[in-house]
Amino acid sequence: MKTAVKYLLFFLFIGAAFAQEKFQQPILITSAGQSADVTMAGMLCKKAKLDAKTINRAKASDLLGIKTLIIVPGFSSKGLGAAGISREQEMDRVKEVIEAAQKQKINILMLHIGGKPRRGAQSDDFNKLAAEVSKEMIVVKQGDEDQFFSKIAEQKKIKIELVDKIAEALKPLTDAF
Amino acid sequence: MIKSKMFLYLFLLFLFVAPLYTQQENSAAKGEVAVGTQGMATTAHPLASKAAIEMLKRGGNAVDAAVAAAFAIGVVESDGSGIGGGGAMVVYLQKEKKSIFINYYQQTSENVNSVNYNPKTDSKSAKAILVPGTVAGLTEALRLYGTLPLSVVLQPAVEYAEQGFPIDETLARIILDNNEVLQRYPATASIFMPDGFPLAEGDTLRQPDLAKTLKHIAAEGKKGFYEGPIAEALVKGVTENGGALTMNDLKNYQVHISEPVRGSYRGYEIVAAGPPQSGVSIIEAMNILENANLKKMGNYVTSTQSAHLIAETMRKIYADRSAFIQDQRFGYVPVNGLESKAFARSRYDDINMAAADPSDYRKTKPGNPSAFDDKRPASKKFKEADVKEKNNTDEINDDPDEERSSYGKSTEELFDRWGGRKKQLKQEQKNTVESKEEEKTPQGDNEIDDSDAPEFQSYYHDPMENDPLLVENIFEGGGHTTHLSVVDKEGNAVSLTQTLGTFFGSGLVVEGVLLNCSMANFSTTSAVNSIEPNKQPRSSIAPTIILKNGKPFMTVGSPGATRIEATIILLIINAIDYGLDAGEANRAPRFFCQKFDDYLHLESRISEEVKEGLKKKGHRLREYGDFDLFFGGAQIIMIDQSTNTLYGSADPRRGGVAIGY
Repeated sequence: MKTAVKYLLFFLFIGAAFAQEKFQQPILITSAGQSADVTMAGMLCKKAKLDAKTINRAKASDLLGIKTLIIVPGFSSKGLGAAGISREQEMDRVKEVIEAAQKQKINILMLHIGGKPRRGAQSDDFNKLAAEVSKEMIVVKQGDEDQFFSKIAEQKKIKIELVDKIAEALKPLTDAF
Repeated sequence: MIKSKMFLYLFLLFLFVAPLYTQQENSAAKGEVAVGTQGMATTAHPLASKAAIEMLKRGGNAVDAAVAAAFAIGVVESDGSGIGGGGAMVVYLQKEKKSIFINYYQQTSENVNSVNYNPKTDSKSAKAILVPGTVAGLTEALRLYGTLPLSVVLQPAVEYAEQGFPIDETLARIILDNNEVLQRYPATASIFMPDGFPLAEGDTLRQPDLAKTLKHIAAEGKKGFYEGPIAEALVKGVTENGGALTMNDLKNYQVHISEPVRGSYRGYEIVAAGPPQSGVSIIEAMNILENANLKKMGNYVTSTQSAHLIAETMRKIYADRSAFIQDQRFGYVPVNGLESKAFARSRYDDINMAAADPSDYRKTKPGNPSAFDDKRPASKKFKEADVKEKNNTDEINDDPDEERSSYGKSTEELFDRWGGRKKQLKQEQKNTVESKEEEKTPQGDNEIDDSDAPEFQSYYHDPMENDPLLVENIFEGGGHTTHLSVVDKEGNAVSLTQTLGTFFGSGLVVEGVLLNCSMANFSTTSAVNSIEPNKQPRSSIAPTIILKNGKPFMTVGSPGATRIEATIILLIINAIDYGLDAGEANRAPRFFCQKFDDYLHLESRISEEVKEGLKKKGHRLREYGDFDLFFGGAQIIMIDQSTNTLYGSADPRRGGVAIGY
């Protein structure tokens, strides 16, 4: 009997741990840097039949009822210009929403799908910020040719899925939920 | 005997090898310099430059080569231009010593008023499509000044469209950035997002429908596009999606061939695209700057005074441009006034070297070039009515009260302010230039002693050095449109700029043809440059050729929307005032400011001293990456007339290549 209870507790523990591995819905998708990649993230979630909404410039208040925050990092001066904000304002907003998500224990998934165009000093501040707080990263390989994300994943013990093309991000994204 | 035979063999070998050596191609990317003696082409894509060189090697001239490159670039850089758009070229024919302006910019439909275009919602839709001019312009240029058949010059474009080509980093990024537009129409999405997601670097882009259309044009000529089944499909596609286009529009589209606008700068002759394009603004700027000794003042990268003077000049020419430039068939443009040295002097005299003045860029007022225009029509003689008219000329109703308070003075006062000093200035000009120069040279706390400024080479650094990935924001924001330059061994030169409006134009593809969105170039708040049937909008494009001693010295042009003029101005200054070569001029840091925007935009490599100096003078700075596509993608060829050597440079801000041989 004691053994059976031990096994039961063990499996419950494992089950609970396993359940934590999975991301929950509903999802809020937001940009970090205002690149157009956020649209692609929305399309991927739609194809994966995930309950997700996209708010390019999401605020902490938008997290109400949200179980997973997908951050799509990548700097775009065009995007920032269209939004009428500076890089610094965007950085402050992203930090604020991350902080709020962490306080509310909302898991963060980082989706870097823009490849090389979303690397470089202007983008990498956003990339680093999003990568380090994420529970999982899905990265198009071109964006990790210098192992920028792989190294963060290794140092911070974060799961990373590298894919060749944006379309191939669909599988790890589906598997994550 | 043996010796002489050996000598003969060696001599024959030399004769055989020497031409091969001289035919060898020499290419350079990222702003480096390609060198040639037989011909030079520089475009925004290696395959387009290759197409041009192929034509030259077949015995074609610069026009053949430029036409081939222009068709090809529309395929391999389909985001920036193509047969669904329009453009202009300035041609210089060495034998005839003749310059020609070929204007094939898009124009409105006869039914444009039925569209009810709203700039806020329709700028990237079929409603923004104008009648394309590229096919008419390129075929007409070829017919009049080329030597090769259309089918030959179109061959590279057909091949690239049919067989495909690998997408480079620039195009990959632009596709990614514009995926929302590309998704809008299924025919467009099937080309650029075949699996539902954007094609990436290294993927092959094939455009079989475009290849078919190009083949049809090759066989049928201009009519193959403007009449018959392709024209019918275009009309159907555009009108079904809410735009205006008729068979008459296409059949009646006319290329405008005329004299280019002309000016001079420190002994060099500037030949550029006339209204409604913006060559005259380049001339005005150079005329203003000619009043100062920029060389003595120092390079703008390290001299606050130079940077400030150029910035203030930019503001003035942009204000004048928006106030006066339009399609001349629909209204008076004071071209002679805008080109006049006396008008430029009056604008120069209005520049306050101590501070950005007015401090609010939006309050920059246009000058009165019509007062300096001897050829102005009688109805445009200076009078109070001009003042009222001027009040309606701003694209943006930024501060109407301020405008009124300024213009609401007596005619005499205004005349004095704008034109009354003309004669006096003429007399004083010779005497005052030098003294004015001294007055404007650095003084006071805010100034920099430029005698200690570092040489250009010390602040210039290679883009590849700075960021191995070369992805630092260099492809963002407004690099749409494209420019190409070709010079042949005879000294014929072509400077050509063409566009779809903004990246991927309207986003609508019909028969493989990506259609433009150039309606957005019209003003909706002003009588000047307003939307009317069969009218061309004002455009920033300004293909330019600079002559020295009656021969080409430099061909220059750039994409980059409103930054085009600023970029060309800086390139001319870099070449003529600072003596930089084509590569150095192209790689030099750029900046831009205008009337309708509160910021002085600059690349980060402008020195910190200058940035601080400009701030102290009241400029609000917005800093960009080291090499930012925001500032265009210039293609330059410079010619050393003493050796007939050609030097080409493709802008490092864009994925272009210069090829010489």
